[in-house]
Amino acid sequence: MKRRMWDLLLILTAPPHSGDVVTSALRLSQAVLDRGGSVRIWACGYSTMLTQDTFGDTKLPNTRNPKGHYPSPSAVIQRMIADSDGRFAWIGCTACSEERGAVHHVPQVRQRSPERLALTMAGARQTLYLGGA
Amino acid sequence: MASTALGPPLLCIVDRAYRGAVEVQFFDTLYGLLDLHGQFERVDVVLRGAAVTMAVAEDTYRPSVRLGTMELDTLPDYRTSVRELVAEGCTVFVDEQALTALGFAPEQLVPGTVCISSTALARRWPEYDQVWFL
Repeated sequence: MKRRMWDLLLILTAPPHSGDVVTSALRLSQAVLDRGGSVRIWACGYSTMLTQDTFGDTKLPNTRNPKGHYPSPSAVIQRMIADSDGRFAWIGCTACSEERGAVHHVPQVRQRSPERLALTMAGARQTLYLGGA
Repeated sequence: MASTALGPPLLCIVDRAYRGAVEVQFFDTLYGLLDLHGQFERVDVVLRGAAVTMAVAEDTYRPSVRLGTMELDTLPDYRTSVRELVAEGCTVFVDEQALTALGFAPEQLVPGTVCISSTALARRWPEYDQVWFL
């Protein structure tokens, strides 16, 4: 069977809530999707937190705007996957997930051992490493 | 909202700006101050380093991004948060050296904020029981 080739693999090790890298990774992904390309994100380190199913669909209430709607990170990523027609996918590193007790990913996340990192890279035409763990 | 004022007067220093956007939305550093300052007798804020840009008034930037079919327009809105801190009685100091080093002038700051030199600011530390580095 011929292995699927993805246009771009983003290895995301920067943690959320610390810089703009997570947002940049999502915007970069969207820009590739808008051009008709395909993107996979390999989430390592604390970025494995982004897709935990314990978030639910929304963030906690904003005490200063309790009626506001604030989607959770997992809801945003699920929506991107659903809207991408199979061109956007998310991988959670099993080692980083277990290291952080972040093992309850939403079902759209493929969980993959770091032993398969090079194999995953071989399945993409380009790889960008967004570090910062 | 009446202040319960259980806590001591605080000076809160923010050196690091932009700690996330999509994953953060409203729950940024300044939201924490807005949400909690009523518990303290007084909370004043110092913006230093790149964080000074949070107090630069400009109206062209829209804190919004499109992801999939979702227009996410709930990203952190720091200028509004600075305006709200000022409106709620917090003094927001902006470090003058950091501001000018980034090419901005004090006239460009959100009205009500206080542009101050590092030296003059250091002299004010004794006015507070505690200085927190957020």
